Amino acid sequence: MDQKFSLAQLNGEIKKVISGRFNAPLWVVGEIAEMNVNQSGHCYLTLIEKEEDTDKIVAQARATIWSYTFRMLRPFFETTTGQPFRDGIKVLLQVSVEFHELYGYSLNVRNIDPTYTLGDLARRRLEIIQRLKAEGVYEMNKELELPLVPQRIAIISSPTAAGYQDFMQQLGQNAKGYHFYTCLFPALMQGNQAEQSIRESLDKIYAFEEHFDVVVMIRGGGSQVDLSCFDNYQLAYHVTQFPLPILTGIGHDKDESIVDMVAHSRLKTPTAVAEFIVAGVTAFEEKLDAFESQAVGLIEEILEEKRDHLEELSERMATSVRGKLETQRRHLVRLSWQSRENVLLSLQQKNHALEKKIQRIHLLSVGSVMRSRQNIDNKVFGLRRSLEQRIALDSKNLEDRLMKTRTLVNRIFLMEKQQIEFAARQGELSDPANILKKGYSITTSEGKLVKNPEDLHQGTLLKTTFLKGELLSRIVENTKK
Amino acid sequence: MNGKKGLSYKEAIREIEEILLQIEKDEPDVDQLSEKVKRLSSLISVCREKLVQTENEIEKILQEIEKS
Repeated sequence: MDQKFSLAQLNGEIKKVISGRFNAPLWVVGEIAEMNVNQSGHCYLTLIEKEEDTDKIVAQARATIWSYTFRMLRPFFETTTGQPFRDGIKVLLQVSVEFHELYGYSLNVRNIDPTYTLGDLARRRLEIIQRLKAEGVYEMNKELELPLVPQRIAIISSPTAAGYQDFMQQLGQNAKGYHFYTCLFPALMQGNQAEQSIRESLDKIYAFEEHFDVVVMIRGGGSQVDLSCFDNYQLAYHVTQFPLPILTGIGHDKDESIVDMVAHSRLKTPTAVAEFIVAGVTAFEEKLDAFESQAVGLIEEILEEKRDHLEELSERMATSVRGKLETQRRHLVRLSWQSRENVLLSLQQKNHALEKKIQRIHLLSVGSVMRSRQNIDNKVFGLRRSLEQRIALDSKNLEDRLMKTRTLVNRIFLMEKQQIEFAARQGELSDPANILKKGYSITTSEGKLVKNPEDLHQGTLLKTTFLKGELLSRIVENTKK
Repeated sequence: MNGKKGLSYKEAIREIEEILLQIEKDEPDVDQLSEKVKRLSSLISVCREKLVQTENEIEKILQEIEKS
């Protein structure tokens, strides 16, 4: 009988062998199949390896990143790769191999090499791009013609995303007052379920395809990190196959995602998507303007031509009538030599009648030219009238307002002026010089104005001021006393 | 734009271009010209109105889609 081990003894032996063989940390490549972070911040991973072609799992191991290490490794990994540390990605980890009698085999993660994951992601992206190109679908959405006026817009976004609000605001505030019809198809725009959620929204829009001109995929305000769902083959394929042009405003300025690449147009932000759409409509309106002025130009040209033609015709007619009359007249003159007296009378009558006819013909032809011209002028006038009326209305409004302002200002000026004149007149009235001018004089005694003669005694010296000088006098008798 | 009533922008633009070409090439007489001008200006103003006005029918359809 061989030696018997207790389980603990056996596990102890295995542990010895393992720690003997793997006495130093080593680097291992694996895909994270599951990841859990517990309350103390320790991270528990299930690592797997898949067979390249079949995706069959051929190896699996548990791994642990203790919280102290995890607190440093996670931000290091995420800032370097621009990717969240999560399941589904391939990682290169430095681990020590451990075996515990009770818990078995596990790997203790010491360090991580983010460049491996970066390389792996880049390779996978490249593979997806190449696959889409090989399938001949890469350009398909780009080849769709953008509608002349993208007015009915299907939006795929999270209803609470800041980017969605930005988009709606920018669209609603367009300067020309264009009206847009929008319809939101809510979707998760990040995380594991985003890809499926976006695809479901696309399917729903597809069912109402004829009611929309364009699809807008917007996101924004979320974490810059998690864009991996937009690098997904299934979603990108869906976008290429979509029958309406898709505009993206996923809101990140680092790398383009694959969805951005295959979409009809890629804009940096939701606001930029709205601007793009409004610019499209503006271009359409400018086209209308151009057609309009082209039409006016053409019509004026044609009418000018017709006018010239009519004038030329009437000129020609008058000349030929005159020529014929001249021939006739000569003929008659010749006849008159034969029966001069007889003929002369009738000749005069005929001549007179002919002159009248010439005049009438001329008048008629001129009249018809005039009528045609007026007809033409009326039509040109009618074309412009609507424009001019609009301008006239605006300028009349302006003038009215100007007039009102001017009247008001004038009235204020007049009032001010009257007040100033009134004040000036008041001042003039009370100026002593004006009183003197009227023949009054001013009497003072000892420098004081004399207003009450009762206060003055006989013999007091008085000074009387006239307009043109002063006089000193003495009181002989105060009759008031 | 495929509203049930009236033309789409695309159809309108196509017709405008056609009429302009006709005017340019065929030099119609004054009455024909007047007809064409009327049609042109109505096409252009219909397009302009469509840009800024709300078509309730479309609004209604989209609301129903959004609810579904």
